[in-house]
Order: sequence, then C-alpha cells, then structure tokens
Amino acid sequence: MIGERNLDRFKNLDFMKMDRRTFLKAVGALGASLFLQTYRGDIVQALEFAETRIVWVHGGECTGCSISLLNGGEPDVLQAFSRLNLRLAYHEVLLGQQGIYVDGKMEGTSELNSEILFEEVIAEKGYILVAEGAIANGPKGTGKYCFLGGKTYKEIFRRAAENAAFIVAVGQCATNGGVNAADSEIRDLMDFRGVAFTMEDRDRGILTGYGLEKPVININGCPPHPDWMLLTLAAVVLGKIKVPDDLPYVLDKWLRPKVFFPPDHVIHDNCPRRGYYDKGEFDTMVSGPKCLWKLGCKAPYTHADCAIRRWNGYHSLCPQSGSPCISCVSPGFPDSSRPFFQEIEDVGIVGTNIDTVAKVAIGASLLAAGAHAIRRTAIKDKHEGKDEKPEEKLEEKLEEKPEEKPEEKLEEKLEEKPEEKPEEKSEDAKKDQGEE
Amino acid sequence: MVEVTVDQLTRIEGHYRITTQVNEEGIVTEAQSMGLMLRGFERFLQNQDPRDAALLTQRICGVCPTSHSIAAANALDQLFGVEDAVPKDALVMRNIHQSLNLIASHATHIYVLWGPDLANPAYRTLLENYGDTGKAVWKELLGRFAPISYRLDGVNIPAGRGYIAALGEKRRLHEAISLFGAKMPHSVAAHVGGVTYGPTVADIGQLAAYYWKFMDFVENLALGVSPETWIENTRFASSPQKAVGFVVDRLQELVDASLVSNDFSYAAGWGDVPLYAAFGSELVGEEVLGLPVSMKLDRIGGYNDPSKIGYLVYGLFFKPELGDGYDPTCPPDSRVIPPGFLNGNLEFQKFDHSKITESIAHSFYVDSESDRYPFEGTTQPEPEPDEIEYSRGVESRYSWIKAPHYDGIPCEVGPLSRMLVMKDPLITGLADLFREKGYPVTNTYLRMLARMQEILVVSSELIKWLAEDLNPNGTFAVPTDLSMAKDSEGMGLWEAPRGALGHWIKTGPNSKVTLYQAVVPSTWNLAPRNSAGVPGPVEQALLGSKISAAGNALGVDYTNPLSILHTSRSYDPCLACAIHAIDLKGQQKGQFRVV
Ligand code: SF4
Ligand code: SF4
Repeated sequence: MIGERNLDRFKNLDFMKMDRRTFLKAVGALGASLFLQTYRGDIVQALEFAETRIVWVHGGECTGCSISLLNGGEPDVLQAFSRLNLRLAYHEVLLGQQGIYVDGKMEGTSELNSEILFEEVIAEKGYILVAEGAIANGPKGTGKYCFLGGKTYKEIFRRAAENAAFIVAVGQCATNGGVNAADSEIRDLMDFRGVAFTMEDRDRGILTGYGLEKPVININGCPPHPDWMLLTLAAVVLGKIKVPDDLPYVLDKWLRPKVFFPPDHVIHDNCPRRGYYDKGEFDTMVSGPKCLWKLGCKAPYTHADCAIRRWNGYHSLCPQSGSPCISCVSPGFPDSSRPFFQEIEDVGIVGTNIDTVAKVAIGASLLAAGAHAIRRTAIKDKHEGKDEKPEEKLEEKLEEKPEEKPEEKLEEKLEEKPEEKPEEKSEDAKKDQGEE
Repeated sequence: MVEVTVDQLTRIEGHYRITTQVNEEGIVTEAQSMGLMLRGFERFLQNQDPRDAALLTQRICGVCPTSHSIAAANALDQLFGVEDAVPKDALVMRNIHQSLNLIASHATHIYVLWGPDLANPAYRTLLENYGDTGKAVWKELLGRFAPISYRLDGVNIPAGRGYIAALGEKRRLHEAISLFGAKMPHSVAAHVGGVTYGPTVADIGQLAAYYWKFMDFVENLALGVSPETWIENTRFASSPQKAVGFVVDRLQELVDASLVSNDFSYAAGWGDVPLYAAFGSELVGEEVLGLPVSMKLDRIGGYNDPSKIGYLVYGLFFKPELGDGYDPTCPPDSRVIPPGFLNGNLEFQKFDHSKITESIAHSFYVDSESDRYPFEGTTQPEPEPDEIEYSRGVESRYSWIKAPHYDGIPCEVGPLSRMLVMKDPLITGLADLFREKGYPVTNTYLRMLARMQEILVVSSELIKWLAEDLNPNGTFAVPTDLSMAKDSEGMGLWEAPRGALGHWIKTGPNSKVTLYQAVVPSTWNLAPRNSAGVPGPVEQALLGSKISAAGNALGVDYTNPLSILHTSRSYDPCLACAIHAIDLKGQQKGQFRVV
C-alpha cells in the first residue's frame, strides 16, 4: 500500500507550516484515510473557523460519483466531513428532506422540504458547489429533458452556480459530458453539457452558455476515486490551495488537479502487469495474468494515479483485474477510448483527435513508459513471425512533431518547479496532451 | 380534493415526481408516477464493437452497475454463441460479483435511502403519546436512522448508528468486489465468454474475510441473532407457518422483556430487523405482539385489484451444479432464485420472455404504435419543448418512463417478487397471514422485509459459492473473436437488486451493433398508465393510502405525506435505469434503447 511506504516521509512534518508543494506531495502519497489520520491534530487546529458548506447537485448522471464518495474517508466519509468541518448542506440522494408541494405551493420548513432548503442554502451564498452529472440543454436549448421541482436542471444549476464561491465538477458527466455526450444520432437533440467543457470543447461548457465566470476544478473519472474528491476538498478547505489564485499552478489544462492526474505519469508506469509488458508477453484473451496491451489497454497514455493509489481499499485497478484501462479520466471518454478491446495500433490510437499533438504525446508516453520494451517486443514478434513494427510507428509519431521533446517532459516534476508561472504552465499543458 | 406532489422524491437514484389527489379524509384517490429526465445515452453503442457493452451499459446506473454489466455479458455470450460453453467457475464468479453488489445495494437502500423516513418527526409526535415506551422507541429510531446533516427543531442530529454502520458495510462490500473487479462503482470482470479475472486462493480468503465481517454486522446490528439461526428457521423452515412462528416467538420474547424495561436498544437484543418487524406492522406489532402502537406500514402500499397487477422474476444466479454453460431463456428451476410470474392472487405461472410488451401511451415518445414487444420497437423522444408538460393530468403524456407489461399486466419486480416466486417461507407465510386477516396481501411493510430477507438468503448462497463451488484453478473464460458475432443476436436475462433486468442485442454482417436494448426494473415498478389506462405498480400501490403517519393517527398533514414517501421509496426507485432511451424515427441504421 502506497500510504504505508511513504508515510514516514511525511508524518513528522509540521502540517501548518507545510507549503503547497509539500502538501500536494503528501496528498499524492497518502490516501485520504492516511492523510486524515496522520494530520488529525493539525487539521483540528487549522479548522477552528466556520464550517464550509457543500451544495451537491445532480443532473444527468448515474449517482456513481456519490456512491464512490461514500467509499472514502477514514473511518468513513461522515467522519472525514466532520473532521474537515464540511457541512453537506444539500445533497438529493443523502439528505432527509424531499420536495413537497400542496396544491402547487412549497409547504413546511427546510427541515422536511428540500425545495425550501435549497432556496435557503443558495441564498446564503459562498458555498462550494459540487456538480455531479451533465446538464441537459435540449430540446432546443430549453433544458426540458431534465426537470426537477418544477424547474429545469439547467436553471437550477445556473442559480446554484451564480451564488457559489467556486465549482467542483465531479465525474465525467459533469466535467466533460461523459457518456451522456457520447456520439450518437440523438446526441445533438439531447445536447448534454459538461460544466466547463463538453467533451474537449471549452466553448460548449454550460458556464460559457450562461456567460458565467466561476473558478472550476474538475475531478474526472467514471466515477472519480473518493480520494480525489475528498483530498481536493481538504486542500481547499485547509487553505493549501487558494481559489482562484493557485488554480493555474495546480490544475492541468483540463482543470484537473495535477497531483492526481500527473502530467508526467501514466497509469502504465506502475501497472502490476508491467513486467509482462517489458518482456513482451501479452494476453490475447481475458482472464490471464499478462499485459493487456493487445486487448486494448489505454493506460499507456492515461494520466491518473490509479496504479499508485489503487481503488476501493487500495486493492486494484482495471488492468490488474484483467480488464484494459478504458481511460475513463480522459476528456473525450468514452468516444476517445472506443473500441475498448482493440489494440491501439489497430484503430489509430485514439480514434478521435489523433491527428496532431496527441500522436506525439502518445508516442512520448509510450517512450516514457518503455520504448525499450516496445523494441524488445518488436523483436520478439519478429521472432514469432509477426510483422508488426511498433518501434517504427513510435518513431514516426515522434518525427511528426520534432520540436516537442518528450524526454524533457519526463524530467519535469510538478513539485520541483516551484516557480512555475502560468505561462509556463500553459506550455506544460501543451505537452500534457495525453487526452487530446 | 387536495393535490399533494412530492418533487423531487429524494433519497432515490435520479429525478422523480409523484403527484397525488388526496380527499378530505387524507386518502389518496389518484396517483401519477413521473420520470423527469431523458438520459438517452443508449444509442451510442450503435455501429460499435459489441464487446464494449458490458463496460458501457453499467454506466446507466452507479448503484447497480454490476447487474447491467452481467446482463450485458449474458447477452454477449449468446451473441457470440458461447452461452453453453461459459465455464462453471466464470458463472460462479458472476454470481459472487452480483451477490456482493446486491447485498451492498440492499443495505444502502434499507439504511441510507429508506431508513431515514423512520426518523421522520411525525413518529416523534406519535410515539410521545405512548409514555416511556414510546419515547424509548423514538430514541432508537432517531439514534439508528437519522441521516447525514439532519436537523430537528433547529438542532443538529448526529447520523444514526445503523446508518453509519451500513455506509461502512457498503464500502467494505465494494472493497470485496474490487479484489476481482478492480473498482466499484463501475467494476470490470463481466466479459463475453466469462470473466476477466480468475481469483487466487489468497483472493478467496480475503473475500471470505470480508464476508464474515459483514455477517458480524448482520448478527450484531441487523438481526440480533446469528444469521445461521435465522436462515435455518426461516428460509429452511419446514412450512411458512413455522417460519412466521419463529420470528413471532423471537419478537414476543423481546417485547415481553422490553415493555417492562423500556429498553429497545441493540444491547437488549433489538436488532434493526426485529425493531422494524415489530413496530412496522399493525398486524404483527399490535394484533399479534400486543404493542400499543405501530407505523401500520402493512396498511399501505398494497394493490386493490388483483386483476391489474402481477409479480415478475426472470431468475437470478447460475446453478453451479449444472456445470458449464447455461440456457439464456431462463427455463423453470434454471436459476438459484427461480424465474416465474405470479398473478395478483399469487398464483404461479411459468416465465415466458415473449410475453413482455411495453406501452408509450402516456410517455413522452412519438411512435405510430403504442404497444410493442420490446425487441421490435422504434420510439422517438418528444423533440418539441411545449409538448413536455408534467401537469396536464392522467389523460396526458406525463413521464419519460415507458409502461411495460407481462401478458398485458403491469408487474412489480424486485426482492418481494423474488422472495414470493422462490416461496421463501417467511415472506410467503406473512403474505398468507395478511390475506387471512384482511390486510393487503403484499404491502410496504412486506416489501421492505423481503429486501432484508433477501440479504440473508443471498448471503447463505454466497458463502457456499466461495467456499465450495469456486475452483481457483478452474477456467474463467472461453476465447472469443469478434467474427463470432456476425449477424447474430443475444438476450441477457438477469436480476438487478431492484428487479428483473434484460438486455437484448443484435449485430450486422460486420459484427457491429445494430440494436441494443435494456428493459430495466424501475421501468416496471414506476411505470405510468398504459394504453388501456391501467396505472403502473407504484401508482396502484399509492391508491387508497392514508397519506400521513400511521394511518393518519395524528390527523391529516398534507405537508408531511409520510405514507407516500414510505411506499414510493420502498420500491428502491432508480430513475437513471428507468428513464427511457430512444431511437430516432426514420434512421434505421440501428438502435440502442433502455426502456
Ligand atoms: S499496457 Fe496496460 S496491462 Fe499492459 S502493462 Fe501497461 S497498463 Fe498494464
Ligand atoms: S485504470 Fe483506467 S479505466 Fe480504470 S479507473 Fe483508472 S483511468 Fe479509469
């Protein structure tokens, strides 16, 4: 377990004096449970101020993000919330209240009626708005495909966003539209939007539609890891990430915290099946122990810490359990990952948007991840009479954009660049292409 | 007549409204069940690699993703022509995966989604009329079932002990799934021809450790007796009467002691199930056990007209003793929880999937025909904003949910149907008792008790699969190749925690998907009226209910329609699943629909 390994490095530090970089290292290295345990005393001290209110709203979604959140914290998410002095002021799936209308009028008090509660809560302003689910804009811009309490979710979300201090979009549906926005004949009719992006398109984020400027943090994933959600909230509440001032430094260009979605790390780097990859041993049917590259694994260009952190009790990640990574944290998911079970070379790597930077980036990631191994693989394949030449393909990709130097990127470490400027960051972002 | 609307009905999955007409006596005379959202990502499998379905379709629902991924894998087995070759150990793994999700989902529903209604302030007012006994019971209800961020009279109430414990158990069960399914929600594992991961001996040991930890919770908090004792005397009782007798005797002991001591705590043996079993029912609590007060949940949530309702089960869990492969049509006795249909009088009929049709007469879709066999339908979502109106009454179109029927009859699906079709002695025995004493045969009380009982029934199978049936050195998949899915079709029948679930798939000459369809449990339960004007199950179940606490014992309170909340939530609604999907008319390249 990662936490145990790294705990010693962090547990003797003075939390209150810890700077942002060290803090982020700690957050990256420790799971939410260990983090909250380790700094229990410090957090209590740090939080001797008013509670932070969380307003959590649901649009077009499956509630998987909320369910994932409930798997987080130590000993449970309720404890984590109370330790962080967070108050879940509104959450449709968890709160006691419900909307009650008698002859069309809201009745009762906010202790029983969620509609009244919602009005009270947003009138107070200054809360963190957590958005789960995509925002239906259809049909014809009315938002009527998602209706609650007699209003469209599009309207509800706008009002909640206007009064929020900032927005944390959790899960692919909210960050980028996710499965709701996947390509189909009815996609345009439905017109589901993400908060700041719809798929890779920033102009089609619903905030742009509202003409509303609010700081946004995206916690991608289908669903996101509970640590990603909880530790981001912790970082903000504890003042280690100041919104909006620090956001240009700590978020990538998809507005994801770099600490969980590291620009210089792909899942494949730490995959438990990596030894087989390096030896060029690949499974061609499921349920075996070997590398899943030929079954379509997308981990070699997926920037997330799944393989370091692991999921649910820090046990596993998709390739460990025999299923290729489908890159569920990438802005274009699911379209950019389909077909899931075909080897990347077979389908032109990502299917969409592979024409420009992405190829290079993927090449770079592959190089980072083990071009050496690919070469060996190629040799091995030749031995077996196959004529695939991944090595050449890789070089082609790299040649297309010679000015990009992946090797440099490798050496850059987020934490080792304390003085990075926003401009530099955007350079970084260009190189952090993985999901384009 | 007063119109009482619950919108949104929270503590469910998704966006849902119930509108009722309530008369002067506080009795529901008309109810409408409305799905408020079109999700419609269903079409995106069209023209795609069918193997993606098991991973993609589970994104329909974050609460029961496993059910969708396994239903899809089942459909793919047949599509690829390997359904009779899927190795026994892979089928056992699907059972284990599904049972862990089912137990986690039920526990979450009972404690986190449904349970908080037991801490509704109306019960405080009610119970305070019953002296120290009433106060002691209220203390338990609030102390066990208060949800997060709960406030009463401006005072913050800490989350209940049962509520917190159940969250921990759900988390643990998800950790167990991740041992072979990587993560939860949206785990991997289900795949055409088998599963993606064969567990090691160490994994099985760890799974068993998780299992026993969960059983500790069941024994100490939920039941107050050992699960083995409970199962032996209920599920394996020699008759329904014996099963009911066992539970009643156990409850009577507790009641006799506690009416004197006024101690209804866990320590006094009052697990959550006995507390609910005694105080939830008028018949069991007041008439049989002699309690001074109950919530009367057996008076609500039944069906008035047995000719308009049925109980449907497709069947759940492969039988390991049948070896490799399985019959996708679910013949009688082919599953551990058997397939079958019960009519409104609980008379059994053999299940036949071809009897399923669906109506869109009151749903926001455009189609030339309003009733179709699901495999044939093409429907189109209403594209005109002005046509999407939820307040035009029961004659209008008012929901995004379709109205499926079996043999023309709306059906309840879920744990109550499964326990009845399986003839679980406890649940069957209680239904008999209710009928005999003039109560609704099935009701909100029994529906929840069936869910609790199903946790026990499934747990007792799960440990057998783990300890006896699963061979870590077995085979976990058969090889498949995309070319095997050319011009083919497949049906995957299964059961989600909430009830009968079916996926249907067809492919063209290039093995790409031409049709995908899922008919899901909440569509059955939350259906609007059908083309004959017959209300759906929830709509029927609300009719005739006294809307306020304990049969309007405190008078009629339109602002706290507790019966409506209890009954509608007792179905464990999942709108993400129920919300329909679509196919655009005139674009016949293919379809993928979720009904
Ligand atoms: S390609 Fe996938 S399965 Fe293979 S080593 Fe990399 S991450 Fe693991
Ligand atoms: S391993 Fe890949 S598919 Fe699995 S959770 Fe991580 S990013 Fe998503």
